[in-house]
Amino acid sequence: MSKFDLSRRQFVSVMGAAAAVAGLGLAGCGSTGNDSSASDNGGDGSSTLMGSISCSGATSFQPLVEAAADAFMEANPETSIAISAGGSGQGLSQIADGSVQIGRSDVYAEEKLEASQCEGLVDNQVCIVGMGPIVNAGVDVDDLTLDQLKGIFLGEITDWSEVGGTAGTIQVIQREAGSGTRATFEAAVLGGETAPDSFRPVAEVDSSGTVVEQVAATDGSISYVAFNYMEGDGIKALTVDGVEPTQANVESGDFTIWAYEHMYTREDESEDTAPLTQAFIEFMLSDDFAATVVEQGFIPMGDMQVKKDADGNITAA
Amino acid sequence: MANLMPKRRLENIGLSITGFCVALVALVVVTLIFMVAQQGLTTFFVDGINPIDFFFGQNWIPEQERYGALPMIVGSFAVTLLSTLFALPVAIGSAIFVVEVAPTFGRRVFQPVIELLVGIPSVVYGVLGLYVVNSLVKAIFGDAAPTGAGILSGAIVLAIMILPTITTLSMDALRAVPNQYREGSYALGCTRWQTVWHVVLKSALPSLMTAVILGMTRAFGETLAVQMVIGGVERSMPTGLLDPASTLTAALTAGLSNATSGSVYYHALWSLGLLLLAMSLVFILIIHLIGRKGAKANG
Repeated sequence: MSKFDLSRRQFVSVMGAAAAVAGLGLAGCGSTGNDSSASDNGGDGSSTLMGSISCSGATSFQPLVEAAADAFMEANPETSIAISAGGSGQGLSQIADGSVQIGRSDVYAEEKLEASQCEGLVDNQVCIVGMGPIVNAGVDVDDLTLDQLKGIFLGEITDWSEVGGTAGTIQVIQREAGSGTRATFEAAVLGGETAPDSFRPVAEVDSSGTVVEQVAATDGSISYVAFNYMEGDGIKALTVDGVEPTQANVESGDFTIWAYEHMYTREDESEDTAPLTQAFIEFMLSDDFAATVVEQGFIPMGDMQVKKDADGNITAA
Repeated sequence: MANLMPKRRLENIGLSITGFCVALVALVVVTLIFMVAQQGLTTFFVDGINPIDFFFGQNWIPEQERYGALPMIVGSFAVTLLSTLFALPVAIGSAIFVVEVAPTFGRRVFQPVIELLVGIPSVVYGVLGLYVVNSLVKAIFGDAAPTGAGILSGAIVLAIMILPTITTLSMDALRAVPNQYREGSYALGCTRWQTVWHVVLKSALPSLMTAVILGMTRAFGETLAVQMVIGGVERSMPTGLLDPASTLTAALTAGLSNATSGSVYYHALWSLGLLLLAMSLVFILIIHLIGRKGAKANG
């Protein structure tokens, strides 16, 4: 068997790949899905769900998905849902190549993947995340218009006195390039414009938790986080155009900085796992789970009076 | 029952086991280089990014498809050189003290302490850096360093991290100088300082340089600790030591979770990895060159 001859080399190349990945400082990798062998949906057994699926990707709503998985597995003891981190990019790559059953993402797949890779992907929008600007508690500005926010993040407005505060440099703290939170915020605030090359934020940090810490520690700083990160000592959430960043204002469409959280699945998913994947996503969207969604600072799909398309246009639902 | 086995067979078994180990290591190395090179070169050959734009471009803005790695290259070299500059005098100074002045104290107390430092995980240095070094830099420079994160903080943290590496290797280098050299020098009437300066340091120079290069290699490749304190700003060139910046390693780690495999961004990140690999090969080459030159100089 020619395959057998290759086994050592394959082993080594896997080792090499692992070493390369480890050596490059890549942390966290998605677990590949192990298809269930037990699942036999031939008629009478269809009422009990079995098998195991894995779900990898965005970290922003991972705790919510973990809570859902725990509750779901408790109700369906013969199922197993493995949740791993990795970021939206990895979630989308892994669902595109079929190595997981669910890929979580903060952004539309079309924004990150080639059109050919998007074929066969099903976009399940499971909840909504609202985001808003936060500033250091020492900043004496409570409201910014969308235009002012845009000016600040494009580097055109650099002093708090220009937006009605006490004079002092505005220290912009950004999320790292490619972050889903950043993409959402920039889509809603910058409207397609990009900051000039000369504009340098004082930091680009790689998690919302760090943003909160840095904003709290840096005088005159401004950044943005999802609603569930908005509480904390030393930071202050701003209103935008006089609208408070609350669930109700997002639902009514008054507050415009928000995005869907996506859980991508595949159309051609194997029959062993497809029923479980579907059932899990239905559970995430169910009314029973909506309370947990709200509890964790997200907004359930059901209550929205507006919707947003992939280009960011908001229309009545 | 190994002693019941025919000698020749035992010999062959030993040969094949050790040979297999060598082959395995060689394969791992070759596969690793091949993989990184394959992915990293895709950026230039398939995605059509001009290597000159990549290595000398001053803006790394993935969402605009602009991949200029110069800000990270400058960041990496800046923190590496600065940290070596900070660590070197202290490392050599303490090595001289514990080898030439107080050898017993050196062996019994100093060496174990230094070796303990080598074993501390880099995340610990990162956390300390974030809360101590950054706050300190912020307190000293005020508005010039609003978050305290920047090249200077990165260099300070790295200096502390590579200090034990350079110190232990320097101690070994000084110890390796034959005692006859010192005795000869003393016999000529030289003082201890003259002996250290003119004889010991001079003859240990090649090994000391190896120590420095190994320290620099560690600084260049360090990821986590630097990432935590440097600020992570990749989009344009840093203009001063207090400016937040990024390094090759930090940009690579921060980027990979957001890049989808197969995208230009993903390949560009691998190109950074390839650059890192090439740099470490250069460092190793320098060490070998120094070693060869040293061997020649010492006869």
